[in-house]
Amino acid sequence: MTNVYVHGVGMTQFGTFVDRTMKDLLLDACIQALKEAGNPKVDAVYVGNFMGGSIYNQEILGAIVANELGLGFIPTAKVEGACASGGIAVRQGVIGIQSGEYETVLVAGVEKMKHASTADVTQAINAAMDNDSNEKRAGLTFPGFFGVLANRYFYETDASKKHLALVALKNRENAIHNPLAQFRKPATLEEIMEARMITNPLGLFDCSPMTDGAAAIVLSSKKSPVHVRASAQSSGPTQMQDADDLLSIPAIKESGRLAYEKAGVGPEDIDVVEIHDCFSMTEMLAIEELGFFRKREGWRAVEEGRTKVTGDKPVNTSGGLLSRGHPIGATGISQLYQLVHQLRGTAPNQVEGNPRLALSQNLGGTGSYSVVHILERV
Amino acid sequence: MKIFACTNCDYHSVTSKYTCPKCQQGKLQETEVSASGTVYSFTDIHIAPAEFAHIAPYTVALIQLDEAPVKVTARMDAEVQIGDSVELKGLEEGAFIYTKAD
Repeated sequence: MTNVYVHGVGMTQFGTFVDRTMKDLLLDACIQALKEAGNPKVDAVYVGNFMGGSIYNQEILGAIVANELGLGFIPTAKVEGACASGGIAVRQGVIGIQSGEYETVLVAGVEKMKHASTADVTQAINAAMDNDSNEKRAGLTFPGFFGVLANRYFYETDASKKHLALVALKNRENAIHNPLAQFRKPATLEEIMEARMITNPLGLFDCSPMTDGAAAIVLSSKKSPVHVRASAQSSGPTQMQDADDLLSIPAIKESGRLAYEKAGVGPEDIDVVEIHDCFSMTEMLAIEELGFFRKREGWRAVEEGRTKVTGDKPVNTSGGLLSRGHPIGATGISQLYQLVHQLRGTAPNQVEGNPRLALSQNLGGTGSYSVVHILERV
Repeated sequence: MKIFACTNCDYHSVTSKYTCPKCQQGKLQETEVSASGTVYSFTDIHIAPAEFAHIAPYTVALIQLDEAPVKVTARMDAEVQIGDSVELKGLEEGAFIYTKAD
């Protein structure tokens, strides 16, 4: 099969940008990535985006990128997979190159959320659930789902709200050193524990914020120092009441299993990780589902500092969704932005010891989609 | 309460499916069981989407039914804890509303 390599990455600052349009952010990230790649001829464009249509009244993002950048009459598409839109867009680029159809693909992701009210954005995010269901009609929300999981996790283990706060604190500490992160102000464990409640037991710091931002990546079959060793995707239950085991997100587990199989490596071989911490609870489950720690024991690893930059399995050195920010369609690509820099040795919170294998995991919906990419320094 | 059971394996669900997602062979057949159950987990939703903002904060629980290996998502009429016995109070705009059992 054709090998796929990363030739350039780009990312805007994540945060609140009242004076910048969605197009402006999107093109900024694309131009950075193309420049870094040496402005190659691009054969196709994929754009990850979730709510451009519903709260920004803007679709046709693929064609806008090709037209504004003067890339010619190439095929383009917008890719939607809730919060996994960016990761799925990258995967479409990888598959397009592996198939032999394209040599070089530009993949970008963008979201503009801060212009709308919290209630309207929460409503738009709820489109990532199965809305024709008794579950949605009961009033379950996206953060509500992870609140239900967290209470059960506490019930079945010796973990408590403090362990979720330790996840949020770690990611905040990492974001302080990331110049592109949304939240760079230090927070204390006490402040995190006592923050305003969103969905019991999850407080404000346990939930990823609303964010404006964009990220982009140029992939090619031509060789570069960063090889896409595996790209895998899975789907899972779209309703909480259909979960076989509430403390498992099978889409994460299965996408991880497939990625390890394709790459011929195991969780023990991965040097640095970016995973989808839309909520502190999600990071706790994902580090278990991806096999880094045993089921129902992720909280112990967090307590022991094993997922810190200095730990044996550094997770979310960018600050993660919780503190780097979560502009939905851009998130999956911003994870790769951080990992490419880790493999180049130029990342904020650079992991020591020349990391060779890096893993990203991007989740969509309440466990509905999961995408895992494994990158290798070659 | 109406639930669905696979004709070929032990899979049960509160929602119907075209094919059994467990054995991928059987069909799901409708059956009736008691709606009584136990709170498996829950959350209190303080920040709600626009359409539910007027009733926030409210409690959503995942109920384990007593008579079948099925969980149901429901809104509670009061705060609950894991392990509480609950029963169906009624349906409200397509939502199961549960209350604590006496």
